[in-house]
Amino acid sequence: MDFIKRAGLYLRQKIGRTALITLVMSAIMIFVLAGIIIQSAAIQATNSAKNSAGTTVTLSADREKAFASMRKSQSSSSSSSSSSSNAAPAAITMPSVKIKTAEKIAALSNVAGYQYSNSASVNASGFSAVTTSSSSGGGGQGGFGGSSNSGDITISGVSTTAAETNFKSKSYKITSGRGITAADKNTNNVVIESELATSNSLKVGSTIKVKTTDDDAKTYTLNVVGIYKAKTSSSSQGGPNMSDPSNTIYTSYTFAGTVNGDTTSVTSVVYTLTDSSKEKAFTKQAKKLISSSFSLTSSSETYALLMKPMKNVQSFANKIVWIVGIAGTIILALITVLMIRERRHEIGVLMALGESKFKIVLQLFSELFAVLVLSLVIAGVAGNFVGSAVGKQLVSQQTTATQSTSTGAGFGGGGGQQSGGGGGSAPSGAGRSGQTSMTASGSQVSNLKTKISAKSMAELGGLGLGIIAIAVVAGSTPIFRLKPKKILSNE
Amino acid sequence: MTLAIKDLTHQYNAQEKPLYEHINMSFEPKTLYSIVGQSGSGKTTLLSFLAGLDTPSEGTITLDGENISKYGLTKYRNQKVAIIFQSYNLLNYMTAAQNVSSALSMTKSKHTGDKDYIYATLEKLGINRTLADKNVQQLSGGQQQRVAIARALAVDAKIVIADEPTGNLDEENTQEVIKIFQELAHEVGKTVILVTHEPNVAQAADVQISLKNRQFTIVE
Repeated sequence: MDFIKRAGLYLRQKIGRTALITLVMSAIMIFVLAGIIIQSAAIQATNSAKNSAGTTVTLSADREKAFASMRKSQSSSSSSSSSSSNAAPAAITMPSVKIKTAEKIAALSNVAGYQYSNSASVNASGFSAVTTSSSSGGGGQGGFGGSSNSGDITISGVSTTAAETNFKSKSYKITSGRGITAADKNTNNVVIESELATSNSLKVGSTIKVKTTDDDAKTYTLNVVGIYKAKTSSSSQGGPNMSDPSNTIYTSYTFAGTVNGDTTSVTSVVYTLTDSSKEKAFTKQAKKLISSSFSLTSSSETYALLMKPMKNVQSFANKIVWIVGIAGTIILALITVLMIRERRHEIGVLMALGESKFKIVLQLFSELFAVLVLSLVIAGVAGNFVGSAVGKQLVSQQTTATQSTSTGAGFGGGGGQQSGGGGGSAPSGAGRSGQTSMTASGSQVSNLKTKISAKSMAELGGLGLGIIAIAVVAGSTPIFRLKPKKILSNE
Repeated sequence: MTLAIKDLTHQYNAQEKPLYEHINMSFEPKTLYSIVGQSGSGKTTLLSFLAGLDTPSEGTITLDGENISKYGLTKYRNQKVAIIFQSYNLLNYMTAAQNVSSALSMTKSKHTGDKDYIYATLEKLGINRTLADKNVQQLSGGQQQRVAIARALAVDAKIVIADEPTGNLDEENTQEVIKIFQELAHEVGKTVILVTHEPNVAQAADVQISLKNRQFTIVE
């Protein structure tokens, strides 16, 4: 009978002891495994979000430069005017991006695609805008969102709704008909929100009329080709001066340009890059094609904020693995050392019978290895449940913290900008999409897919092997130092 | 295969008197030796030196002229000597048969795995198949002692060392065990050395050795 058979006989005969150590080992393995799989899931979620979203660069007017220019003209007009108190405040002029320039930039290498954003403000004609208690029905009064040129309906002009951030993140969903596509260029096809549709008994195929907000109000007839449902609440869309999201009508960017009286420009362009690592090179090249009135904003800073919850989860999971691993190693090693010490007499007998110390160690190791295998099976079954539960809790805590941070930031950034020309105020498409992408990716962050992989089980098995090896050596070495007679006579 | 003690001196610590001083003795094959002496005279300690379980303060134990320490005490215990302990020292998570089987496996005996041989050896000591398949903790003291004897007899070792092997046996079983030791020595050709308090067991040996006043003397 070799040492393996002896190990098997021991485990079978001392079933209570075997069960106890299996329990302890399983408990430790479960928590270590939970930590490992949460860590792995967090890394995967981070990479997946990064890969699926890609790096985007937004070309839009440089707000700071625009404000600086406004302050400059304000100070020069107040110095030349004799009655400064009667001078009207200077208007902020946000330049629009020329489509020709946008196309030149789109032709640069590393551009996977691009999306135009153009906005306009109109008034409903023949139907009613949705009003909420916080909304004054227009773009608000005063502040960034407010202006005498604001209508009660926001025209959000896009290249395609599918590429628009809110639709990509599934915060907005087409519930009837279709979205705006490239084929809707130079048409009056629109996609309206479901609340607007319901309150005005509109459906796919209906036509609505809108009027521009300038003095020579022009009327346009729009064809409803689709209805969408906005999942986000109005508060997430910005401050109280922003209109209810139900009053946002999606059209091709060309229609928004028509309303604004400028079909050659758009408010902003979002470029999606094929290779995130070449973002800096792209930005450098693109800057050569634009004036200083414009800026190129990368999404990577936003993603850094969005991925912070995942990084925190990853870090926490790493700590679980280390702390439980170390504590578990110590506990298991101590228990095993004590159990081996209890078998001092048996070890003495085996030594006296001429069994080599190496084979005695192998017997002890084999016993613990069998327990380890059983514990790994138990941990494999239970670890995923524990990992999933703990992971969800962690992500929920982290996401709540990040969303409260991002909502505050978003509000400040989502203020309306005004463009020149007819049509009134045009909230920055880039600003709005920035807010929405924060919320959108917040929902991505909440999806932590924990699963047990061969790699995580191998890591766990490796840790377990290390623990039992340490325990066997630590437990048996003091005994082996003694002569068999000493061991047996002490018993 | 001659087992010899050369100039053996041993004391437990420097403050105490030596247990023995400058002992020289040899143990020849085909001979049954008994060692007698008062309690505490060092009989069991001597057996532990002969069995390679311990090393003396001074002197050497040799086997065919080779120092057993140089040979390797673990290897010596594995291949050259079989030990019967006073307190049996059976593995308590095994049956009687498994204890014997374990010893055969450890020593790489030619009878390893031979169940018939194992049961036959146990049967010789009055341990039938039913008892042989019981966990040793379920056996009486006398039965356990016989299993311990069977374990030593089963292996191929040329030297058998027994410490009070009949201590827990009744008269009938004692006689059986004496007979077995005599067979081992005379017929199988082994060197059998046993320590005993029982006069009839001591007298059954070919050579009686008395340990007295730190010296060994052969009793005529």
